Amino acid sequence: MFISVLDHLKITPKRLFPSTAVLFIVTLFCCQTASAVTLKMAFDADPVSLDPHEQLSEGTLQFSHMVFDPLVRWKQNGQIEPRLATHWQQITPTTTRFFLRKNVRFQTGNQFTAEDVAYTIRRLKRSADFRAMFDNISSVIVINKHTVDIRSSHTNPLLLNIMTYVFPMDKVFYQGRDQIVKFGNSFASKHASGTGPYIVKEREPGVRMVLTRNKDYWDTKSKGNVDKIILTPIKNDSTRLAALLSGDVDFISPVSPIDIERTKNSKGVQIMTLPTGRILLLHMNEKRRKEFRDVRVRRAINLAINQPLIVEKILKGYAVPAGQLSASKFLGHVKGLQPEHDVSKALELMKQAGYEKGFRISMMAPNNRYMNDDKVAQAIAAMLGRIHITVDLKTLPKAQYFQQYDERAADIMMLGWQSDTEDSNNLYEFIIACQDAESGLGAYNASEYCAPSINTDIKLANRETNPEKRARIMQRIEVKLHDDAAIVPLYWQYNIWAAKNNLHIDRIVNDQNHPFLGDLVIDEK
Amino acid sequence: MFVFLLRRLVQAFVVMIIISVISFAIQNKLGDPVLQHVSMTVAPAERAQIRQDLGLNDNLVVQYWRFAKKAIHGDLGTSYYYKEPVLDVIFKKLPATFELAFCAIVMVAFIAIPCGILAAIKPKNIISRLVVALSTMGISIPIFIVAIFLVYIFSIQLHLAPSFGRGQTTDVFGLWESGLFSKDGLRHLMLPSISLAFALMPIFVRLIRAEMIEVLQSDYIRFAWSKGLNTRRIYFIHALKNTMLPVITVGGIQAGTLVAYTILTESIFQWPGMGFLFMDAVSRVDTPLISAYLIVVGGIFVVTNTVVDLIYGLVNPTVKLANHGL
Amino acid sequence: MRYFKKDIITPAQSSRWSHIWAGFIGDKLATLALAIFVFYCLVAIFAPLLAPYNINNPNFMDLENAEIAPFWISGDSRFLLGTDAQGRDMLSVILYGTRLSLTIGVCAVLIQTALGICIGLISGYLGGRTDNFLMRCADIQLSLSTMMVAIVFLAIFQAMFGMAMYQQLAMLMLILVIGLAEWPLFARTIRASVLAEKQKEYVDAARIMGISPKRIMFKHILPNTLTPVLVIFTVQISNAIVAEAALSFLGLGMPANDPSLGALISVGFSYMFSGSWWICVIPSVTLIILILVMNMLGDGLRDHLNPKTYKD
Repeated sequence: MFISVLDHLKITPKRLFPSTAVLFIVTLFCCQTASAVTLKMAFDADPVSLDPHEQLSEGTLQFSHMVFDPLVRWKQNGQIEPRLATHWQQITPTTTRFFLRKNVRFQTGNQFTAEDVAYTIRRLKRSADFRAMFDNISSVIVINKHTVDIRSSHTNPLLLNIMTYVFPMDKVFYQGRDQIVKFGNSFASKHASGTGPYIVKEREPGVRMVLTRNKDYWDTKSKGNVDKIILTPIKNDSTRLAALLSGDVDFISPVSPIDIERTKNSKGVQIMTLPTGRILLLHMNEKRRKEFRDVRVRRAINLAINQPLIVEKILKGYAVPAGQLSASKFLGHVKGLQPEHDVSKALELMKQAGYEKGFRISMMAPNNRYMNDDKVAQAIAAMLGRIHITVDLKTLPKAQYFQQYDERAADIMMLGWQSDTEDSNNLYEFIIACQDAESGLGAYNASEYCAPSINTDIKLANRETNPEKRARIMQRIEVKLHDDAAIVPLYWQYNIWAAKNNLHIDRIVNDQNHPFLGDLVIDEK
Repeated sequence: MFVFLLRRLVQAFVVMIIISVISFAIQNKLGDPVLQHVSMTVAPAERAQIRQDLGLNDNLVVQYWRFAKKAIHGDLGTSYYYKEPVLDVIFKKLPATFELAFCAIVMVAFIAIPCGILAAIKPKNIISRLVVALSTMGISIPIFIVAIFLVYIFSIQLHLAPSFGRGQTTDVFGLWESGLFSKDGLRHLMLPSISLAFALMPIFVRLIRAEMIEVLQSDYIRFAWSKGLNTRRIYFIHALKNTMLPVITVGGIQAGTLVAYTILTESIFQWPGMGFLFMDAVSRVDTPLISAYLIVVGGIFVVTNTVVDLIYGLVNPTVKLANHGL
Repeated sequence: MRYFKKDIITPAQSSRWSHIWAGFIGDKLATLALAIFVFYCLVAIFAPLLAPYNINNPNFMDLENAEIAPFWISGDSRFLLGTDAQGRDMLSVILYGTRLSLTIGVCAVLIQTALGICIGLISGYLGGRTDNFLMRCADIQLSLSTMMVAIVFLAIFQAMFGMAMYQQLAMLMLILVIGLAEWPLFARTIRASVLAEKQKEYVDAARIMGISPKRIMFKHILPNTLTPVLVIFTVQISNAIVAEAALSFLGLGMPANDPSLGALISVGFSYMFSGSWWICVIPSVTLIILILVMNMLGDGLRDHLNPKTYKD
């Protein structure tokens, strides 16, 4: 789908007289109309489709926040903020009633009602990517035009967290032509109607997307003043930064930590960073290597790796060294668990385990997935060399890496994980639970570590609604992981944005990396 | 002439078949397309199902047969990411690459030919020494270094040219998205075409110089001197004409180099052309698009070489097409 | 006139070469290039002796020492050229990197030459269908451009040997890939010279005397076609080194803990404007000088041997 940028007026005279004089007039004309506030931004990826349910990815969610509105959303302080749902109350342990905002219209002009919410959740349950999250929502009952009941199959402590993924879609617009097609054409992948602050004007996949302000946007209190957004995906870190420094774009993300100092020193440019819950870790495969079955070896590896040094030197301090999976804002976080570094103790443990001479292992890491992932992997390989473990390191592009990851192709593999629900349990389910192909539990458990007690605790934590009890369960998992040295936690990444000084990005960014562009204020020069 | 063209056509066909076989053989080594299109949280069983539905679990021969049957009807498949027939996607990006290459070639022609000639006819001249030295340095500096410095100096420091993208394009007859007719488009074209020209320039300067020197030493030029012909006439009519012949041939062979360089240039400048498309497709494991790109590029190469040979035959009638290069 | 005509030269081979040698030495630029090239070769051969640190020592890479500026800026005498982002001594890494790059370049071109000579000789001497077939193969090979052939072969090799094994064979693979990718250049040059030589009387004479085609090809024709090969040889080494650098730049080259010059540049690239410029600039300069020297050497040889090469 390619809608021409040029509106009719501009293109007609040029076709008639393709002369420089006309070009000049057109250029003048363009300059005059450009007085509206335009935001040019460059992120590392663009949404793969206009269908918000086709892929669960950062790009899609960023897009959803522009063109659609969620029922509720995360604020910067980690609290939940009402959006299309104004308030909610729990009626029974498994039913929650949501009261919806009135007088909201979709971009097609259709009225937003409870029907749309029910429709959207039903559609989410059909989406391969979102299905798992919505599994325990058993039904959605429309009470009246602006009230809806959401029923779960069992008590669900994370219902609100999940509701941040419900971006009501225009039922009247989509119905009947709403297939979710991953590898082909579909109506929804090329057309969008949401209630959000922006409307898609033009999209050339991989090159650019142009959005204009929704004139009838319901949130009139929002101070956002951006009339037009031009989003360009730029994959290469230095090209993206060059685009900002040369003034070609106004807002970029991410910025490589290496470049932060230089960016800070540039005039007219600001940097914004926020710590996130995205954990980077190493899996030591116990099925492939008998050495890793010995807890002393695993502990020795944990001791040999110096997380604070990696953070300081390679990530320039823009990460938090981790001694566990849960970041401090998560319920499962255990205060005392800090990363330890002690090479002599590690050597002693290796000796006790009978590997004084060390051994040779293979290791794989992606080289374009996480911030400086290949450099971190290389530093780790060198650190393991200190305790006589020779590492054959292979770093590969993410396209190939995750295929290798599924095959558990190396003895040590690197993984980064961001909890979809902003909750510890999501980490445990995917990274550390015993593997089960059917349910998807432990899908990324490349250590093949399996502790039945953890699986039981994960199940408990999924139903426990008392936050204190829940925290205790999850902290128990965290301590067990630490005692078994089952994995090597490395650090929690930062999200990093950079923008021109006249953009007030500090108010709209958040640690999920879905900037609320509808609320962005740009000072006019 | 007709036989020649027919043979070339057969040849092009064979080249394309071989390329398509190769690209098929390697496609599952590039990664798993399914993983690129589902989120990390999708269960492995579900992913296996998607793979099955896409026919990726079939034997490669079966898959190739399926592809070949469609290819006969001109359907090379549908891109996973663009969700459109791959040929449409590629041809939509063709103008961008074509304009970039065109500008670079024009620049090369206007600079390399005079420089090469000068270096050949006045070898002792300071300027021609400089030209020779610069051209030797030029082939020694990798293009990615040149490009990054151009961006640093002209975009970041001087703000003279944009650092990425193609800028505003205009629709020419609804067929061709052109960046040549707007100021913005031309500004965007500056840096990428200069760095591409920079990569090609030294090759041609050296080539033209070497050929010219050789031609100037040939018997007929000596004869022309002894006949007392006008210097300018000897240089620019007699010598230049014969110099350009091999230059054209080599130019055809350099088409392959040009393609490689456009891939590099386009990825550095985020130029939305075919090379960028290819790198993007590789990183997204968009296998139908990768195969189609390789086939199209192979086709373009064969076509350029055929045209070059035709021109060669026209300019120099002593070359019998049927015997030359076949 | 630096221009020799072949028929003026006396038949004695030794005097011909010494003549060329004398002319070559007279060319200051070419001599300088040769001297620098010899220096590079020596450095490459004796890298383990010259390097201040042993790069295979587990203690070589120490993150504590990351990004120390060169001696003349930081005053840290442990690291003459500073350290990279992983805390490795730049001087040692560059010495080993040069060794790797040169080895890959020279070996790859040896493969190209061997393949090219055999195919070119056969093609030129036998002619007809064989010639046709081989030259079509060369066309196809050329149409794919080195980079793509390399990408394809590397992918196949990775599949054949598996990731871990591939890691250990990376250098061999790169040599093979670059070697296999550019043989047509040699083949075409040799073929062209063979076609020219074949029409000369001495080949007819040999044939009439009943000497076997194999012997005629290798003993009689080949020596007379070697001059252009020598010239392409030097230029191709520089091309091979650049190709390796470009492959490394695209992430297909040597593994990160065993870097060639190209891999060093590609890793250092992100530090270019971060303030730690030496991580990128020093290996880049090393590489550029090496390539420049190879090209100057090629030019010098071309001027003095004056072969009519198949130009590229």
